[in-house]
Amino acid sequence: MNEKEVLAQWKKSSIRIGSPTNILAALTAFIPVLWLCTKYDCWPPLSTVLTAWGLIAASFGAFYVVEPISYYASLGLSGTYLGFLSGNIGNMRVPCASLALDVTESQPGTIRAEIVSTMAICGSIITNLIATTSAVIIGGAVLSVLPAFIVDGLTKYASAAIFGATFGNFATKYPSIAIFAIAIPILLKLFTGFSAALVIICTVFGTLLIARAMYKKGIVK
Amino acid sequence: MDNISLVSKVSNSPILWLLCGITVGLSVIQAILYMRQCNKTTAQISLDPSIPKKAFRVGLISAIGPAMGVFIVMVGLMASIGGPMSWLRLSIIGAAATELSAANMGAEACGAALGSQDYTLMCLAVSWFGMALNGAGWLLFTGVATPSLDKLRTKISGGDMTWLVILSGACSLGIFGYLNAGEIMKGTGNTIAVVAGAISMVLLMNTICKKYPKLKEYSLGFAMIIGMFFSVLFDQII
Repeated sequence: MNEKEVLAQWKKSSIRIGSPTNILAALTAFIPVLWLCTKYDCWPPLSTVLTAWGLIAASFGAFYVVEPISYYASLGLSGTYLGFLSGNIGNMRVPCASLALDVTESQPGTIRAEIVSTMAICGSIITNLIATTSAVIIGGAVLSVLPAFIVDGLTKYASAAIFGATFGNFATKYPSIAIFAIAIPILLKLFTGFSAALVIICTVFGTLLIARAMYKKGIVK
Repeated sequence: MDNISLVSKVSNSPILWLLCGITVGLSVIQAILYMRQCNKTTAQISLDPSIPKKAFRVGLISAIGPAMGVFIVMVGLMASIGGPMSWLRLSIIGAAATELSAANMGAEACGAALGSQDYTLMCLAVSWFGMALNGAGWLLFTGVATPSLDKLRTKISGGDMTWLVILSGACSLGIFGYLNAGEIMKGTGNTIAVVAGAISMVLLMNTICKKYPKLKEYSLGFAMIIGMFFSVLFDQII
């Protein structure tokens, strides 16, 4: 089998695994609330649930579409299923996947890159699961012995440092594109009243267009 | 029993661990299925089996830093939405901030503040419906539309592999530019974390890791610690 056939087969089986599991998880996530309502007979009126849904969709609805599109290039096919089922995409999945591509010197878009990023994401899922499960068991105890400044640092700054590190790593590869990628969202946030979802769209597609122009002119290769 | 202790007792019912465990388990099963697929394909293209192993290790190690953040956030979340639900929500799509806002909006629709005396079991149900409906948005969209996203990428790349590599880099820069911009706007402490994280990662990758490639696997963890160190230092001095 040549690489192209293997890649086609990879995509097919990735969809066969990912699509049903993600859809099923959307449904099984309702099991606890259905249990709650049945056991304690506290079914809320439909209108109240719809009101809540409306409030939530108004804040997050656009992200359901914008995030998968924006992250797709860095996550790949199986990575998108894995990332959106397991969450923590920006602060954990993408940084892990892109570092793994770097460490193993794999080119995006190849079957090797798909395998590498999938394995890295799977590894990070195990770590995350250990963290959430141990938080349940020993969380309170650990938190009470950790000095306040460490707890404070982790809650306030862990994401910022990871975001910065991942950005820095990409920026050394494409410094001329990176300037626009950071300038566009800052300017939009400062000078427009755009919603968060619109800022993401403008940033990702704006950066993409600039990268395309630079590629055509031979500035980036 | 007053509402506050009733809600807290019900949301920590032992059986909920099992009910929430179904979805957490599903995410583990999916990861296992993908790892099996990786093994199979590795053999098919006769890729050196040490490469996927190395990638797995990179994921396992590099996630430790951010997972420590998740750990602490989770302890906080458990106080407001109970243990089992926090475990479920933070093991699948949704960060603590997203889940808390969904839970709060549910409470708001119910006309009570989260954790107040007016927050009845029915309000708890509205919050839980809210979180499940919110998560379902991402899960259903990716469950259905991911193959189209792949076609979209192929179309934008036009089969040009050099451009595809740059395109992936540009998309990642765009999304992380957005995430960093959000942190920078939060204030000096966060800006220091971003800048120190970025500089230390660049320095690590281009100096020490060039000499000892093995250390690359730990670079993200080190960069995170350095970034946080400078921010905390700033907070202590000010």
